[in-house]
Amino acid sequence: MTAMDGIRTIEADVAVVGAGAAGARAALAAAEAGARVALLSKGPLARSGITITAAGGMQALLHPDDSPEKYVADVLACGYDLADANLVRVLAEDSPARIADLERYGAAFQRQAGGGYDLRRFPGHSVPRNVFIRGGGSGLIGTLRNACLANPGIAVHEDFYAAGLVPRADGSPAPAGVVGLDLKSGEICFVGAGAVVLATGGCQRLWEINDCPADATGDGLAMAYRAGAELIDMEMVLFYPSVIVWPPSLRGAFVHYEFLAPEFLDGEILDRDGRPVLPKPLPVRDVAMRLMAEAIAAGRGGEHGGLFWWAGEGPKSAAGQAALNTAQYKYIRQHGVEPLTDKIEVAPGAHYLLGGIGIDAQGATSVPGLFATPECAGNIDGANRLAGSALMATQVFGCRAGQAAQAWALAHGAAPPEREELAAEVGRLKGKVAKEAAGGGETAAESASLTEVRSYLRAAVQQGAGVRRDAAGLGALLRAVAEAEEALAWLKVPDIRVYNQQLVDLLELEAACTVARLVAGSALKREESRGHHFRADFPARDDGQWLRHTTVRRGETGPEFGSRPVIR
Amino acid sequence: MKGIEKHSKEAGAAGPFIRVKVLRSGGGNGGAGYFAEYDVPAAAPLSVMALLAKVHDMDGSFACRTSMCFKGHCGSCLVRVNGQDVRGCVTLVQPGETVTVEPHSGFRVIRDLVVDFSAPAGAGDSGAGGGGETK
Repeated sequence: MTAMDGIRTIEADVAVVGAGAAGARAALAAAEAGARVALLSKGPLARSGITITAAGGMQALLHPDDSPEKYVADVLACGYDLADANLVRVLAEDSPARIADLERYGAAFQRQAGGGYDLRRFPGHSVPRNVFIRGGGSGLIGTLRNACLANPGIAVHEDFYAAGLVPRADGSPAPAGVVGLDLKSGEICFVGAGAVVLATGGCQRLWEINDCPADATGDGLAMAYRAGAELIDMEMVLFYPSVIVWPPSLRGAFVHYEFLAPEFLDGEILDRDGRPVLPKPLPVRDVAMRLMAEAIAAGRGGEHGGLFWWAGEGPKSAAGQAALNTAQYKYIRQHGVEPLTDKIEVAPGAHYLLGGIGIDAQGATSVPGLFATPECAGNIDGANRLAGSALMATQVFGCRAGQAAQAWALAHGAAPPEREELAAEVGRLKGKVAKEAAGGGETAAESASLTEVRSYLRAAVQQGAGVRRDAAGLGALLRAVAEAEEALAWLKVPDIRVYNQQLVDLLELEAACTVARLVAGSALKREESRGHHFRADFPARDDGQWLRHTTVRRGETGPEFGSRPVIR
Repeated sequence: MKGIEKHSKEAGAAGPFIRVKVLRSGGGNGGAGYFAEYDVPAAAPLSVMALLAKVHDMDGSFACRTSMCFKGHCGSCLVRVNGQDVRGCVTLVQPGETVTVEPHSGFRVIRDLVVDFSAPAGAGDSGAGGGGETK
């Protein structure tokens, strides 16, 4: 391995970027197949990433009346026919085995008194299909974390920010490895690997209103794009109607829109004057969100830009009481808010990235040797998704991507990095740190400027690419992204060696700008409305033109947007 | 221990705020640290976790964990508040109060309030699962 002076080299057969449920599962699959794996985690295992926010529902083919055909039909219908059927079939067929794997790793699922899985039917399920892992998302990632730590083939690198992929010196577009920053030591590292799996999750933090941890900045999406991979349906972001915007200590949490239904709380969404915003019976989520967005735009929102989730005055069913008795609502009560009686200010917020890096059934991207797994991979759900799909997809495609990456690495071996590209990526990182010098030198930016650029970008994404979109707003967003990038180009952070959090902030923000441009451009491209993508200037679904994926790749002068058929 | 580094308002500054004193250090147990003081504008109660994120926004050189699960489960937020080890995400501070935040005592300090959880720590919690969430 040839590397540069002054950077640390780590060698592996497979590098997995991201260590939520998908990355941890990919690492296990690759290691169990014999690979030496470097598992790169931006934060501490099981204490960072998006998996920890999940409740733990996983849709699996376990009911005696279920079948792959029913499962596939349900997913495709929910996704407005925009999911690739080959991937959905894999999701259905592999799901029981992945549940069994989790039990082998030590997870427990909720079971009925008789011992069978406590399968529950959620909206869009033709057969009860969701099993619940004990401990929710934390239980899932805790189980996988323990399995990774117990596997001698997996080297875990926590607090490791992966920044970019570097191609091979032999002229192949395949990655030679990953450049990143080891925050604990402050070293810039090159992780040389035969194959790379991206498992970096979504980019929901681009939106001002979202219900995701601070990690969801889209780093892997930007890495894949810069490496030349095809991304698809980047306009498809799943919004959730009732993300809390006030009180401020609860920002990022949400209350369930579904619990307002008569069988639970029989509640309402109210405007600032206490008038209901939605008709009864309450509409499905995407319709509800459009009505809520219109009400907010019409000035009916509260002081903090939201509407009011209210459980109502009527008596609450046992199901309604039980629904508010979970860890999530305990957390809300610990912040002094009583969900049974208080009006909670909420607004639609980004919840899940449906689009992402295009993959085949083995998790292979359009770049050889580069694999990806949901949430950062797309085309599994389409324009909406069923409850329980996300966690199951992490296990099914994490496992497949890990196995395929191991096989690819075995067949092709590792190769040295292209030296100029490696130097350029290392230089990109080093160039963001202000170098103090005698008699002058560079000056680090005020913290405020980085925060201001981030706030500016997030407000622009919320405004231009939120629930309601049109060409003018998306054009304005593209201009805002260009302005943000221009401001960022001048920013430098102080020269702090150990845990330079500001350097990560800056790299994340740069990735966020890249991803925001892909979201805006894809949303402009899709001149129709479908599922969670609503174009006010093209309000109808257009199957004649748009039963297709939008695509984007890096071109000579910027992103090149296109489209391709959905796989049936 | 050096004196307190102040990022506080002058007397009479407008609006309610929370005064946050954080222990800053370059990491490694036993290294000398010092307290820095920040006034965070706050019209409503804030969790320690939300407060620290705001301090980091005011002074990016101050390091703290910012990721969280919004359920009080994951333990990313473990810190020491007014001398007690707590979960910062469910520890509320009222406007007008002063709060002192140090690294959690159970782990090695990497920098400021960021600790290394790879020191012995349990697996993911096993709280109440289920519910109706969609992720």
